[in-house]
Amino acid sequence: MDTQLISALISGLGMGSMYGLMALGFYITFAVSGTVNFAQGSSMMLGAVLCFTFAQTLDWSLWLAVPAALALCGLYGLLVERLAVRPFVRRGSDAWLMSTVALGIVLDNLVMHTFGKEPRSLPSSLAVSPVEVSGQGLGVYPLQLIIPLVGLALAAALHLVARRTRWGTALLATSQNRDAARLMGIPIGRAVAGAFALSTVLAGVAGMLIAPLANVNADMGTLFGLKAFSVAILGGITSAWGVMIAGLLFGLAESGITVALGSGYTHIITFALVIVALALRPNGLFGRAEVKKV
Amino acid sequence: MLCTDKGLRIHKGLLAAVLTALLATLPWRAMAAEPIKIGLITALSGQSALAGEAITRGLQTAIDEINADGGLLDGRELVLVRRDDEANPAKGVVAARELIHKEKVAVLFGGLDTPVSLAIVPLANQARVPFVGPWAAGTPITKNGADPNFVFRVSAMDELVDKAMVAYAQENFGSEKFGLMMINNPWGESNQKGLVVALDEKGMAPVASEKFDGDAIDVVPQLTRLRDAGADTIAMVGNVGPSAQVVKSLRRMGWGVPIVSHWGPAGGRFTELAGPGAEKVHFVQTYSFFGEQSPVGEKLIAALKAKYDDVDGPEDITPAVGVANAYDAMHLTALAIENAGSTDGPAIREGFFAIDSYPGLIKTYETPFSPQQHDALGPDDYVWAQFIDNRIVPVELND
Amino acid sequence: MRRLSIPAGLAVLAAALVMVFTLNSYYVYVLANVALIAIVGVGLNVLIGLTGQISFGHVGFYAIGAYTVAILTSQAGWSFWPAWLAGALVATLAGLLLALPALRVKGPYLAMITIAFSFIVQHAVIEMEALTGGQNGIMGIAAPTLAANWSIEQTVAVIALLTLAVTLVGYALLARGTWGAAMRAVKDSETAAESVGLGPLVIKTVAFMVSAGLAGLAGGLFAPLSGFVTPDTFSFMQSILFVLVVVVGGAGSVIGPVLGAVILGLLPELLATLEAYRLLFFGGLLLVVLLVAPNGLMGLVASLRRPRSTAGAVPVGAGEALTARARQGLGLDRLTMRFGGVRAVDDLSMSVPPGAVTSLIGPNGAGKTTVLNMVSGFYPPTEGRFALGERTLAAGRAFRIARHGVARTYQTSQLFDTLTVADNVALAACRGKLGGLLGARRFLSRAARDRAAALLAFCGYRGALDTPASQLPHVDRRLVEIARALATDPDALLLDEPAAGLSREDTDRLADLLRAIADAGVAVMVVEHDMDLVMKVSDQVVVLDTGRLLAAGEPETVRADPAVRRAYLGEDLDQARPVAERPARRGSEWLGVNRLVAGYGAEPVLHEVSLKVRQGEMVALLGANGAGKSTLMRALAGLHPVQAGGVHLDGRALEKMPAEAIVRQGLVLVPEGRQVFPELSVQDNIRLGAFLCPGDRETRLEEMFERFPRLRERRHQRAGLLSGGEQQMLAVARGLMSRPRVLLLDEPSLGLAPKIIDELFTALDRLRREDMTIVLVDQMAALALSLADRAYVIEGGRVMAEGTAKEIADSPELADAYLGAG
Repeated sequence: MDTQLISALISGLGMGSMYGLMALGFYITFAVSGTVNFAQGSSMMLGAVLCFTFAQTLDWSLWLAVPAALALCGLYGLLVERLAVRPFVRRGSDAWLMSTVALGIVLDNLVMHTFGKEPRSLPSSLAVSPVEVSGQGLGVYPLQLIIPLVGLALAAALHLVARRTRWGTALLATSQNRDAARLMGIPIGRAVAGAFALSTVLAGVAGMLIAPLANVNADMGTLFGLKAFSVAILGGITSAWGVMIAGLLFGLAESGITVALGSGYTHIITFALVIVALALRPNGLFGRAEVKKV
Repeated sequence: MLCTDKGLRIHKGLLAAVLTALLATLPWRAMAAEPIKIGLITALSGQSALAGEAITRGLQTAIDEINADGGLLDGRELVLVRRDDEANPAKGVVAARELIHKEKVAVLFGGLDTPVSLAIVPLANQARVPFVGPWAAGTPITKNGADPNFVFRVSAMDELVDKAMVAYAQENFGSEKFGLMMINNPWGESNQKGLVVALDEKGMAPVASEKFDGDAIDVVPQLTRLRDAGADTIAMVGNVGPSAQVVKSLRRMGWGVPIVSHWGPAGGRFTELAGPGAEKVHFVQTYSFFGEQSPVGEKLIAALKAKYDDVDGPEDITPAVGVANAYDAMHLTALAIENAGSTDGPAIREGFFAIDSYPGLIKTYETPFSPQQHDALGPDDYVWAQFIDNRIVPVELND
Repeated sequence: MRRLSIPAGLAVLAAALVMVFTLNSYYVYVLANVALIAIVGVGLNVLIGLTGQISFGHVGFYAIGAYTVAILTSQAGWSFWPAWLAGALVATLAGLLLALPALRVKGPYLAMITIAFSFIVQHAVIEMEALTGGQNGIMGIAAPTLAANWSIEQTVAVIALLTLAVTLVGYALLARGTWGAAMRAVKDSETAAESVGLGPLVIKTVAFMVSAGLAGLAGGLFAPLSGFVTPDTFSFMQSILFVLVVVVGGAGSVIGPVLGAVILGLLPELLATLEAYRLLFFGGLLLVVLLVAPNGLMGLVASLRRPRSTAGAVPVGAGEALTARARQGLGLDRLTMRFGGVRAVDDLSMSVPPGAVTSLIGPNGAGKTTVLNMVSGFYPPTEGRFALGERTLAAGRAFRIARHGVARTYQTSQLFDTLTVADNVALAACRGKLGGLLGARRFLSRAARDRAAALLAFCGYRGALDTPASQLPHVDRRLVEIARALATDPDALLLDEPAAGLSREDTDRLADLLRAIADAGVAVMVVEHDMDLVMKVSDQVVVLDTGRLLAAGEPETVRADPAVRRAYLGEDLDQARPVAERPARRGSEWLGVNRLVAGYGAEPVLHEVSLKVRQGEMVALLGANGAGKSTLMRALAGLHPVQAGGVHLDGRALEKMPAEAIVRQGLVLVPEGRQVFPELSVQDNIRLGAFLCPGDRETRLEEMFERFPRLRERRHQRAGLLSGGEQQMLAVARGLMSRPRVLLLDEPSLGLAPKIIDELFTALDRLRREDMTIVLVDQMAALALSLADRAYVIEGGRVMAEGTAKEIADSPELADAYLGAG
């Protein structure tokens, strides 16, 4: 196979699985509560920034830094739900869409003033020396190979947790039938809060994984978050595997277009494809059409 | 770090900002000698915030020096008034109008984004307020066709940098086939044109020209096309983050091609971001705080260390061009105001032309401005540098 | 109010114009900018406020307007005015183009398409360098001149303010006119809009185009105001700002977007001195504003103001409401509807003659509503055809069928809630013909209003004409909905359970109304459970059972048909399984319901219902559909708010507890329609029942498999794939896992085959013998009574009779409640 294609495939899958992970976060909160954190890119940035701060600035071991950063991401998710989602949902207002954006602006700027304005790089031994993949001189960083694996493994782990644990099935149940879930005694309020925490943790994981490849700074997540949202929608925000697959497809399309036409057209064509896909399949590629209730 | 000294600084900064905002609205602030307001419109948030900070530090240090010497125009103090343009020209022009018409600044400084500066240029010319550029290198900023022209610059000019890049590469790498690697933003786009012109003057044309996005983490496809086109040198224009991605992707390809670059890599911790191979990028600078310093340099570094607790040495003065250009630009502007004897815009403009000799940081300026010459720096003032570890080192020193 | 708003608006406009010529250039520029944002906001308000759609792509239209002006003036040498017009036109066309894919989708999908659009515009502008100047954009855009000595920002500010004023007047006219009403109707209920002949797609597309056009108009002014256009100016953040203008101001109000624009235009300027901290504070303040006024400032103002008294005019029965004329009947020819493998309606042929009432009856799940949905065009039939008179109607286009003369009402009344009563009816009278965009003749004229009033009077509505439909009590919702359906002057009228939830007196009046409608020549088709009503009004009764025609004929013939009685009561009452006489339980009261009131909207469904259940007792609640049994069950379980009265279990008050706390107290509902978790496996469904008491969960899981062996075979299957009976068993098992002290069973036999029902009731019988306290609601009265110790008969939300199972089985009230008093 052409080296170019292999390279595009690998980075497409890598980016795609990150989009997928974040889109999974959108899916989780949407399924459980019908709402999302529209500024999910900020959550991703938070994961990367916290990880950098703990591991680099404070020089903690990664074994401590990563869980600590993820725990704080989870807390931030609870904050988002409490501050920017619940007050609106309770009053039947759709303004959570706007309030989560506002909270994202606040977080981005707080991070800019505390973390600093300089882009930083989270050093990783997995992103220094490329390994050769095709025998024609082109290498990839081991991390690039690991990212899609970790992404898919996490999605699978999430799948298992959802299926095998008490709270996991409770979340699934809530997403499938809210009223029936309440009849099981599942506290919906806490389930929704938990969904937001989980979704933010997923975004945080994506941020950490991508940090050694990308640059860590306050607005690293903005565009990424939007793309992840389009992935979630493209997959049909009601299907977990759908959003993960859509993420991979989106990543592959992006890198494929960049290889074929150059990066100027990447956004134009990927977003046009999103429009076409939704026009043809109004509930996303893998979403299920609901029977029209009259 | 995050929660100790830095955190404290944030509090101080925040408090200061809020207090200034409150104070600005109070009438009793009018003092015996009214201060002279110096405006600055630059990005203070978002990706270019660090550049805005660097310009601020250069200007503020110069202002502190001037005020310590008794201010200007018989004891009037200089006050810096900043506005955030969010790198958006539309926000920039609103801020420019505010500073010109409401704050009534004597002189306006610009930031790093060429489109924002270009949008402000007509306003400044129309309102007859001198507009000084310490960073944005777009050629038409100073060559704007207005008469009288109120725009001055103490920075590099893209057109000249592009010529310098070509000349430097030919001289040092014997380059014949240039591949262009341009960031997909206004800065990249105008340099792409500038490089084509510069090459054309040498009877050459780029073998290929590629764009890459600011948030791309894989530019192998673009670089592969450059290699396939037979490029023997890459001319790169991009901010520090994206420039680092170019180095990372080159490493993956195992392609050790020489890179000549605009000053983007100097905008941050390039070595940390790019990893091994960062030192292969040769980029243009107007000043280096490394190596032996002139007395002005020594003084400035000492002042920065004293004023900003995150500055411990030259490696913390980043991006250096922003600080250096702004520092010299402020002092030149002060001279112009003194020459003018008032804060009247046209008079200050004449005052710029009347500067004869000034020993600055970057060089000793000899009649830097004239009605035909609004750029204080020229190709002779460009310094070629590279990153050695965390230090920006002039290439000559290294040889 | 309205009379005041025009002078007030003019005063504000005059003040703004004075400011343009007195303030310095900075303030004038900011003012002009606020006006431009407001224009976009008014346009977005057409979309968000009137039509209920969202767009995060309006910066795209704004950019298109700005770039069109920039390109035409700087490259093609046009003067500003024609270029401005062209910009608005191009943006409008782009709106049409985007509407095509965008309006096929809803909610977040629509948001995404519009986001994608704005990105495409921004990046296309960058790539089309020759035309647009690429990343560096176009500088030095020529500005219009109005007077020689006005500066550019003064000129643009004046144009922008005048444009804003015109736009606001236009919006006000649109909002109060026919199109505005149609847009709000589409927002309130697309389904109901279609059934009065409104094409939602066309209406939404027009709204999209208007909205895009206004954004283009504002963008076209932005170009000369700023003097340049660059791609960075039209970032996604700007789109969010536009939506915020509407959200902060208050969607749907005329001046909301203006207030929003003032706040969002001025806030950044007020915060400018914060320098680097500006955005931080902007975000924070925005959050505060949203928290204080989640429905916008105008929403806040409205909520503070005392609700308007609705003592408006009441309809008088003047003039002819429904012209008596010859009308066409409906003919159904071998209609079949399959959902997946299920035949909901199977080979049904029948006719609905004009001037007569045809009733379609049958047990729950028989397919009655599906028939209505096919004939009114919402479901394309799998097979077969239907016709109005000689004209075969094309399936699947509900609004066309409505325009041809088939009107309908819905099981749950679907009124246009944000419109007044009179508006609901007057809009329907347009029958899809809306006239000019800002026109109101068809809708607001005296003739239209008189006709609406006459129709409402004809239908027996006695309330005020200007009451918003959302505030109507249940009965009035029914009447207004019928009046609205009649307003289209239909040939055929389809009514879906019009008597559900009505009192006896109201039902009697409804019967008279249905007769009167038929007498005017309309072919009336009623789906109804209230047998009294059916027997009283019908000329013809058609009985469906599991999608098939069971019987048809005159009411008395059908009533006497033994097959019909079996279908309804499960078995013939006389031949029911022997009612097990048990000694009356003398245990203490365990579950008590005391004068419980609950309902939807203003009118309660349950009127002071009181029940007593003793420990170990099984109590049946019987009554026809719509009697309020399920509402009672949901209210007990905490899924439905209790308005008054109390519920206590073993001495503890439950009425204020949320559902999850009630479960913890041991009151467990097995809900109507099973409501299993379809994507989870059978055993996970059962395990979830033990969510609150996970101890020895697996042991109890095995117990359940022992109790329901069918479930053990399918323990790993997805619950959604189970048959109805298996799902019901699963739901019961899941409920039992919660360790209930009282088990509420809502319609467990619904839609199940007789053999399965038998199996299910055997399982229930076992529970009863184990002394589980059970409250059972079931259509199959005979079966329920065969198990129960005692029973209550509920009708119209009231307890009509109570006694031992035997007493009730023998009482005449029961048969009356189900089949109507003969």
